[in-house]
Amino acid sequence: MTICLYIFHCLWLIILQAAVLPHFSSLSGFYDLLLTLIIYLGLSRSVRDSVPVIFFAGFVMDNLSGGPFGVYLTTYFWMFATIKWLIKYFQAHNRALWLLIVAIGVLVENLIFFVPRAILQAEDWVPIFSMNILMPQFFWAILTGPLFLLFFSHFDQAWETWGLDKLKTP
Amino acid sequence: MFSKKTLMVVGVIFLVGLNIIVLSITSSRYQSSSAGKLAISLVAPFQKIVTFSIRFIKDIWYHYFSLVSVTRENENLKRALSQAIEKNNQCQEIELSNLRLRNLLNFQKTVTSQAIAAGLIGKDPSPWFKSIIIDKGRADGVEKGFPVVVPEGIVGQVIDVSSYYSKVMLIIDQNSAVDALVQKTRARGIVKGESTDRCIFQYVLRKHDINIGEEVVSSGLDGVFPKGLRIGRVSGVIRRTSGIFQEVSITPNVDFEKLEEVLIILNPPRIKFEIK
Repeated sequence: MTICLYIFHCLWLIILQAAVLPHFSSLSGFYDLLLTLIIYLGLSRSVRDSVPVIFFAGFVMDNLSGGPFGVYLTTYFWMFATIKWLIKYFQAHNRALWLLIVAIGVLVENLIFFVPRAILQAEDWVPIFSMNILMPQFFWAILTGPLFLLFFSHFDQAWETWGLDKLKTP
Repeated sequence: MFSKKTLMVVGVIFLVGLNIIVLSITSSRYQSSSAGKLAISLVAPFQKIVTFSIRFIKDIWYHYFSLVSVTRENENLKRALSQAIEKNNQCQEIELSNLRLRNLLNFQKTVTSQAIAAGLIGKDPSPWFKSIIIDKGRADGVEKGFPVVVPEGIVGQVIDVSSYYSKVMLIIDQNSAVDALVQKTRARGIVKGESTDRCIFQYVLRKHDINIGEEVVSSGLDGVFPKGLRIGRVSGVIRRTSGIFQEVSITPNVDFEKLEEVLIILNPPRIKFEIK
């Protein structure tokens, strides 16, 4: 049931990203919204709950995108694994840190997308163009990323409370 | 024999290696799978509903609340202008062909008549790749490789088809390539995407004199796009002292940010190469 809930989150985030945001030119250059969900799963959910969702999200995004197949799967999987590893050593549940985590997440995702083509193409325009893509994403990630994490957190709490109430009700 | 830590490090190295190999294979050529079509079919209906809802609300806003008559008049004028530009382009192509004394009987039309209109329902979620999802698929006769155009010029090529939806790679995507020529000088080259809303015109010999503002059209030699379709205008030319090619950048005629409807050409030219 929990997995279904997160798959539902995946779907509405994908639709928001691919069908709604392109209609608003002022929101151009938005970051990958699914990243917030992956970060949230890494911070708050178990591996058993998260892995199917990560594979679903990566698979759908790889098929919707024109990029090489597997690039999103790779990004999400390693992002999740890194967060799971890091929270063993750092207190990442502090909400003030969420801003930083999302911003670093956006940077890492863009590096995964950008580094191979920069090495392969070695064109002059690549660094300038990359900054043009990265800066708006950074801006939006810092502005809205923690809000998404907050939303997932509250939604989870509400969901669990609702589930417990249901169990108590005869 | 081995500690848990060593095994974990080896495991991670193995996974990273495997990951790099898989990505190298998938990035070398685009492959579509039936599972991929399933993913598009799963998400595309929702995208369609949301896109059409937003478009509907936008239409209400523009048509009924904001300058009703001006908006409609503007739309009609834009449509008329697009048709006029396309017609003008066709005339120019015909004129140039006539000048080269080509046989009129063998002259092929630059734009085919068998085309189907499709609506754009989603864009690529990543700013690094340039593709769109349209609401026509195999059930409508669309096949992988079909060219996609608008009156302003070439949009891209169908790279994945499900029953009712298709994925189109735009000409500004880094993996896109169109065989093209400069309309005036007939200098030939390959138009490649740069993902920056512009393209580069590669492999154009230095001996050709190319000027900023000149029109670049499809050559028809790639077997995908019909001949004479507009691609864009030359926006920059760099001639280095060495090398046999010059660097030409092109600004596409199509505004990819404002795409809403496109045309899929259902009978593109198919060039078959036979080995004798």
